[in-house]
Amino acid sequence: MANALGGAKETLGEELLYDRSARTRWRLGFDKWIGRLLPLLFIVAILPILDLVYYVASNALPTLTWTILTSTNPYAPDALGVPIISTAEMMTAATLVAVVLGLFGGVATAEFLSDRTAAIVRTSANMLVGTPSVVLGYMGYFLFCVRFGWGLTFIAGAFTLAFFMTPYIFRIADLAFTSIPRHIREAALGSGARPYQYVVRVGAPIAFPQILNGVFLAMAIGVGETAPIVLTTTASKVLPTGAFSPVSFLTATIWENFSQPSGSPEIALAFQAALLVVIVVVGLNVIVRIISARYQRRLEGLFQ
Amino acid sequence: MLRQLGPFIVASVPIIILLLIVLVLIFATGFANLGSSFWGSDWNPPKAWGIAVFVVGSFVTAIPALFLAMAIGLGLAIASTVYLPRWATRILDPFVDLLAGIPSVVYGIWGYLLVAPYFGKVLNPWVYAHFSFIPGFGGRAPISDGLGLPISIFLLTLMALPITTLLIRDSLRSLPRELWESGLGMGATRWEATRRIAIPYGSRGILSAGFLGFGRAFGETVAVAMVLNVMAAYPVNFYSATGTMASQMFLNLDAAFGSSSWLAALSYMALVLLAISLAVNLIGRRLVARVVSYEVAGL
Repeated sequence: MANALGGAKETLGEELLYDRSARTRWRLGFDKWIGRLLPLLFIVAILPILDLVYYVASNALPTLTWTILTSTNPYAPDALGVPIISTAEMMTAATLVAVVLGLFGGVATAEFLSDRTAAIVRTSANMLVGTPSVVLGYMGYFLFCVRFGWGLTFIAGAFTLAFFMTPYIFRIADLAFTSIPRHIREAALGSGARPYQYVVRVGAPIAFPQILNGVFLAMAIGVGETAPIVLTTTASKVLPTGAFSPVSFLTATIWENFSQPSGSPEIALAFQAALLVVIVVVGLNVIVRIISARYQRRLEGLFQ
Repeated sequence: MLRQLGPFIVASVPIIILLLIVLVLIFATGFANLGSSFWGSDWNPPKAWGIAVFVVGSFVTAIPALFLAMAIGLGLAIASTVYLPRWATRILDPFVDLLAGIPSVVYGIWGYLLVAPYFGKVLNPWVYAHFSFIPGFGGRAPISDGLGLPISIFLLTLMALPITTLLIRDSLRSLPRELWESGLGMGATRWEATRRIAIPYGSRGILSAGFLGFGRAFGETVAVAMVLNVMAAYPVNFYSATGTMASQMFLNLDAAFGSSSWLAALSYMALVLLAISLAVNLIGRRLVARVVSYEVAGL
């Protein structure tokens, strides 16, 4: 028995109920075929990403050894230890600054501002997300490196990166607090809690998973960023010795080595750096997705 | 208002950063007068500072990428909201979101070393051989290294695709169930209900997808700098190279060191890029009440 979208004739027992016109058959056929063809477009999205990951991995893995990952020898052409450790240090510094700026800003926006003021602040956070990273890199260069006289150093790069990551953390902190059910806030305030007590004792535990999410997301975006880093730091073959020393970064390593001749240790290094960055970014994204799903379930529980 | 002052100072971090960007760039220009050649087409430091080449280059790369990303994004969004079963979308949709997470420098190295040679040896010559009668597709023959507009547009399409797909998907899903069911109940096929009910209903969201996707492609820096073969010239045809504002700014800062008018020209260019990006972004976000999916990069 054909269903409503299927066969050409509907019958009840022996009796012919109706015979579909050519136009109706065409309409149904069109619907059926577009439903089969449109999903094929997913190939456009999935094939490049699989090809990219395979290409990077197949060029990085054959020459990858534990020594390359850990060696900080400045004279070896194929040592990745310095960029890895430097990236971790840069990310730690930038994340700390961005969390301080973004977290308090987001919480203040969600809890203490009037709707109109909050709308202005949110709009500017959204516009910051839409700012091209190269423009932010220019700002960092002119302000930190030139005006403040810090030069192309660790601290200039870390602050530029922090400014880049701040709006992401800000928006999610804001969203996490605004999406707490209204009755919970009212119950806390109604039973005599001061607003800051509500934020610290009631709001923070509920919003924590999503804020953590925002931090991971900002890190995933920050660790893949190239332009602000390249514009505000000088590459270095050794580990940074202080805030004002040159520093290397994984994405900057890719940028410096991508046009080396194939088969050279430098190009292998670029691929290994790319593989590491992809692993970190995809890993963080997966964590974000898992936390996000759990948080949604938890919020739904609060509505009951 | 006074009671809000403390929280407002804490909350105004984004406003301060935004103002900082604008003010720093304005002061970085030193208010230098670069003459009437600034809006011209001749970029020839240290004599001429025409940025029109790069403005045009930015649009020439971003607009085709936007149209491709919108077309594919619309198809993907319809497929996943209307036609595919739930288990299939749960597997397939994350791949699209993942496209947004891949760093642009990784797209760049993949594009430069693997995809560009393919464009140069196979795709561009094929298009040149068969479609050179179309204006803009004939003329100078493509170069075999493949660097140029087609590969740039390809990479920008991939980068804008997750944003357009996600926003279109959101706006299609926001269609109230009653409207969808009454359409089907009247005898419309799923395609007709999508075409005549869901898409008009979500048109603002779909339009905003266009603006935000364009913003992403317009400001993209590193990947374009790697595959466009950046130069200060208008594209002569489909296969040629040109320069975008973002990539030129990125590649040129070192060279400009010590030359105040060169730095001023680049800062003015940064302001133009910022102004266009912010305008596009603002319009795009005005169209949707609230973007729900903060968990995708660049959205």
